[in-house]
Amino acid sequence: MMMTTALTVLPTQDLQPFKGVKKVRIEEYFTSGHRTCQGCESALVMKLMAKAAGPRTIILGSTGCMYVANTTYYSTSWVVPWMHTQLGASGSAAVGTAAGLKVLMRKQRIKEEPINVIAFCGDGGGADMGLSSISAALTYPEYNFLILMYDNESYANTDIQLSSMTPYGANTTFSPPGKARRILHKRWKKNVACMLAAGHPECRYVATVDASYPLEMMNRVRKALSIGGPTFIHSLDPCPKGWDYDPMQSHELGELAVETGVWPLFEVENGILKFYGKSKAIAQGRKRKPVREYLLRQGRFAHFTEEDLDYFQKKIDGMWERWLLPGIAPFRLADDIKKALAKSEAELEATS
Amino acid sequence: MTGSVEVVYRGIFQKHLGQRITRGIVLAAWKEGKVGISFGRYGDSPERNGIPAKSFAVVADNEEELQAYLSRYEPSNNDVTVAVDDTLCKGVESWAWYGLQPINKLTRAGGTVLVTSIQTPEELLKDCHRKNAEWNLAVLKGTASFSGLWVYKEDHTDVRVLGAIAKVAPHVVKIESVEAAIRGEWGDELKVGSARKAYERVEIRTVRPEEGNPEKPYEFQLPKWWEMKEALVIPGIPVRQEVRGWDGGYRPGRNPTFKKFATRTMRPVVDFEICTKCTICWLQCPDSCFDVTPTGHYDANMEACCGCGVCEAVCPVKDCITMVNERAFEDNASQFEAYQKDEAAYKAWLREKIQDKVVTSRSHGFRYRGQYQEELAQMAAEGEGPGGS
Repeated sequence: MMMTTALTVLPTQDLQPFKGVKKVRIEEYFTSGHRTCQGCESALVMKLMAKAAGPRTIILGSTGCMYVANTTYYSTSWVVPWMHTQLGASGSAAVGTAAGLKVLMRKQRIKEEPINVIAFCGDGGGADMGLSSISAALTYPEYNFLILMYDNESYANTDIQLSSMTPYGANTTFSPPGKARRILHKRWKKNVACMLAAGHPECRYVATVDASYPLEMMNRVRKALSIGGPTFIHSLDPCPKGWDYDPMQSHELGELAVETGVWPLFEVENGILKFYGKSKAIAQGRKRKPVREYLLRQGRFAHFTEEDLDYFQKKIDGMWERWLLPGIAPFRLADDIKKALAKSEAELEATS
Repeated sequence: MTGSVEVVYRGIFQKHLGQRITRGIVLAAWKEGKVGISFGRYGDSPERNGIPAKSFAVVADNEEELQAYLSRYEPSNNDVTVAVDDTLCKGVESWAWYGLQPINKLTRAGGTVLVTSIQTPEELLKDCHRKNAEWNLAVLKGTASFSGLWVYKEDHTDVRVLGAIAKVAPHVVKIESVEAAIRGEWGDELKVGSARKAYERVEIRTVRPEEGNPEKPYEFQLPKWWEMKEALVIPGIPVRQEVRGWDGGYRPGRNPTFKKFATRTMRPVVDFEICTKCTICWLQCPDSCFDVTPTGHYDANMEACCGCGVCEAVCPVKDCITMVNERAFEDNASQFEAYQKDEAAYKAWLREKIQDKVVTSRSHGFRYRGQYQEELAQMAAEGEGPGGS
């Protein structure tokens, strides 16, 4: 689509947003017969991601549920080409595949055409082990690819161990509540989308998504694949197994995560930050649902006392009320900077 | 002499139930001076919710016999097979193998399949596949006990099953030692009483080889790794399946070697008459199980549906999609085809399925804090559950 000074950048596919659910393409590129749990939201993310990307797509999957459960021996649910990559290597696999395709096209070994490259990873493979490789990948503006992190907030594939994305206080195999200590996991989860958007000026698109809003989710994937260069999407996936809830509630919990303000939906497109969906209304001052409505529907928080629920609520309130970028970046401006900025803003207004 | 018991359970929802039963068997065996071991099947880990998994208990007179027995891959000639959910009688397609395995496949000749169910043995025999030997079917009256992974439902199903095992296989554990083990583990006389009642009331019936479901369970022949293509590349799935007469419809290609329907404990039934074709069930199904019919309806394909219930939860039309207990169905036939053939007959069939509250009310797992306490109080009020039945 564009040429920068010294780099050749191949064109991307022109993927316009789906205008309404009736306009969504009918074909599935990730289909039935995967060995995931009933009500697996991550499988839904794979399905919607593949549907949004379309047939000319290569998908790379690092180790996690979406590798192990979807591709057991001689068995697959993928329609489009798929390859397993090492745990923690989704970034390098994405760069390598995009670079390989570019060379093959330059040498005319394959037809020149825009091919989507998507590498996915779980929260363990992305936010824990793969963070450095994703960070490195997002500094290469000459390759087109998307890295999608499906975050179910634990190592659910190996029996629900704690990851850096596990929320405060949750029960996991590594943090069982006991009589002596009710809360074993006291760290607050990272904001990977914010971190990657803030630290990678060459990356043109970073977004958070939630498959309970399928159209919004698919259109963010289409934007990420068509904008050019490396892009990143972080998806929050309710997990009936690790979060411990009736699988029928997957969709509802995805909505509650957004409505309570626990999961802000935002995108950073060419440096412009936008909230979208219900998070937009929340950022503009709409009342959030109390977090207890979200937490007490999940067995992993069943041991919470009123004190724990209050603490969680206060942390979420703080995210939205005190952070410089509400719900996203935990910065607050130092007073002298705040004053200086206010002054220059006033000056700007006076001159305009 | 050695004895072994396998417990077949529905993944995470019944993981702790399965573990408690096999652990209880070993604790009881110890009371008799025997040795034993209880373990989950490695191939099942991590237990996906709903997908059938297994836990084993092996007991022996001495260490040597136990070691000798454990030198095999897994117990394959069990004295008792316990199915803690009666829809498992339709067959088991687990993580650890390909194809459908009859519930009684690893039960030894003359052994017993013990099922917790409110169905009669005759009804269950419509589902259980035939076996080339005589075997016993034992029914312990009760609904399937599903609970959360982190939150356990104390409805005494664990001890009731232990009591029933003592009845059907006294050479594995005796009721006295089961009672002693329960006292030692939980110190709860109410639980001891539940085990004793189950011991007295379990219903046992001998099944002859010609009885049971005559259907041949599906199986797959897979290539060995050295027969596969270079770089172990395997074929992808075709994007669509051609269906005769389906112009404008769409049925996706599907993984031919894993069906997933043995995972199902409930299935959606669809009222096509009131369906507004809004697409949401189709779009939100994690298993892509809905076929798009030429008329623009969405027909849940029963070869692919695993019964999660998301479609019912997201459907905006009241009573258009209803989840019904899997035991109420005999086959995987297309609902849309039945609807097209005879709308009135379909409507009557649908009404019959939906109105039977015994089969529609079913709990899948944890819904909200306090749910299990409420359910247990309800069971106690009806004279069931802890201390009852």
